[in-house]
Amino acid sequence: MSHRPRWIAALRVLLLALVLLWSAFPIALVVLASLKPAKHIFDVPPSVLFLPTLENYRQLVRIWPEFFARLGNSLVITLGTTALTVMASSLAGYVYARRKAGLLTASAFFAVLIRMFPPIVITLPLFPVVNWLGVMDTHGLLIVLYATFFVSLGTWIMKTFIDQIPHELEEAAFVDGASLAQTIRLVTLPLAAPGMIAAGVFVLVYAWNEFLFAFIFTTTRAKTAPLLLSEMLGAVTGVDWGAVFAAATIQLVPILVFVIAVQKYLIAGLTAGSVKG
Amino acid sequence: MKPRPIHYLMISPVQLMLIGTIFLPSLYVGWLSFQKSSFGQAAQFVGLANYAQLLADPYFWRALVNTVVIVNVIVYGELILGLAIGLLFAGGVPWPRLMLSIVLAPYAISEVVAVVIWKYLFEPQGGIANFALRGIGLPELEWAVNPVHGLVLVTLLAIWHHLPFTFIILYTARLGIPRELYEAAAIDGSGPFQCFRHVTVRLLLPAILTALLFRYIFAFRMFSEVWLLTQGGPARTTEVLAVYLYKAAFRYHEFGLASATGWAMVVLSLLIALWYMRVAYRRMFAHES
Repeated sequence: MSHRPRWIAALRVLLLALVLLWSAFPIALVVLASLKPAKHIFDVPPSVLFLPTLENYRQLVRIWPEFFARLGNSLVITLGTTALTVMASSLAGYVYARRKAGLLTASAFFAVLIRMFPPIVITLPLFPVVNWLGVMDTHGLLIVLYATFFVSLGTWIMKTFIDQIPHELEEAAFVDGASLAQTIRLVTLPLAAPGMIAAGVFVLVYAWNEFLFAFIFTTTRAKTAPLLLSEMLGAVTGVDWGAVFAAATIQLVPILVFVIAVQKYLIAGLTAGSVKG
Repeated sequence: MKPRPIHYLMISPVQLMLIGTIFLPSLYVGWLSFQKSSFGQAAQFVGLANYAQLLADPYFWRALVNTVVIVNVIVYGELILGLAIGLLFAGGVPWPRLMLSIVLAPYAISEVVAVVIWKYLFEPQGGIANFALRGIGLPELEWAVNPVHGLVLVTLLAIWHHLPFTFIILYTARLGIPRELYEAAAIDGSGPFQCFRHVTVRLLLPAILTALLFRYIFAFRMFSEVWLLTQGGPARTTEVLAVYLYKAAFRYHEFGLASATGWAMVVLSLLIALWYMRVAYRRMFAHES
């Protein structure tokens, strides 16, 4: 491959630069705009050199102090959803990896298929039920809704990872008198930890960013950061772009850092969850 | 090994969530689609009236055509870009981990922030992308007033947002093709184009189908991007099916009509997926013989 003509090498560099521009530039632009003095945000042509300022962040605190409470809601809901999804998926994934029966196979098939149902269609019948149960606008409701749409992928990822753990290890534990719960907790799950991370990554990103369910099922108490952002974007008094960019930056930076940090698990989970499924 | 009762207990949290939150509600939607129903009014059986009303509604057809057109552009746009970038990366790039992180970055962004970003890029006054379009002598994207431009912006945004998914599926599949196959093809005298066609595309076909199928199903229900950018406006010209459903239910309180739309969405996306898989498989096997 070292004899590639020079123009092909140059073309590859150019294409790579375009790919990076396409992926990263829009994100970088918003982060940079959040640090621009408000009056320069819409400079034409865009100002490249400017003195970074926290003016927009101070503005955000001043006019949308609510944002930080909503960010707290997002955090609680995200952690709750991730914990629920990983626990439920690990239990089910273990069974699907270790036991075979017609009914089990049918239920695994059901789990994959039913998940394809569009969430927006589900909001229709759930709306009256949620009202009737008195769980409208609660953290728990969003946690269950979010987890439901990711337990199928989570279960499949866990099954794929547990499949690769030799079952002789568990049998040895049983022979030593360990119970099923002990064996799973002390033998299987520590070895399946990468799978648990992979299963957790997807639902964590989803729960942190989700808009539709939050839009329909929350109004005040359980309102999440993305929902508040959408309200800032649609403010009747006119959009304060500086504050929007500050809020968007605060919302996106943690999850972006997280995705970069767990990139390996993301790729492993996607390969296990979709190509084989 | 045969499962014991404890094993059924272990799958029950997952199954109960799916049954309680998706399966039973989906049946209820089916039932509701044959009823006339609104707030403070007992449901009343009306047969297929909701479906008839749906098919007679020009806004529904507009939403359907919009959805089908932009879903196809999005899915195939992603496929071509994802394949191109996957092959570029498989050929070796400097600092691969860093480069991969950058290409994956849009995956971490929420739909709302993505809309903030693309709105800013294409602001009528001061948007950088509109500025660049003017710079190379092209017309600006007047997405807030021109429905076609609005849908173009939705499409661009969706491709940008979901490209990481398609890219990862194709890139990892490409890494799985053994180098020997290319060497063998080269020894047999295949040129680069023949290698691409007979080795790369052929062996990537399962991954391509997976990516297409998933993206078809998920793009078909697109809601947030359209809702946050145009709310389906101006004058309901940029609605997609999910936005039509949302308005029928939560703005006009026609739950029967909304339910019929819901089932139409489910059936249509399944039909598209099935038809698509059939055609694709047939082509695959026709190629073999």
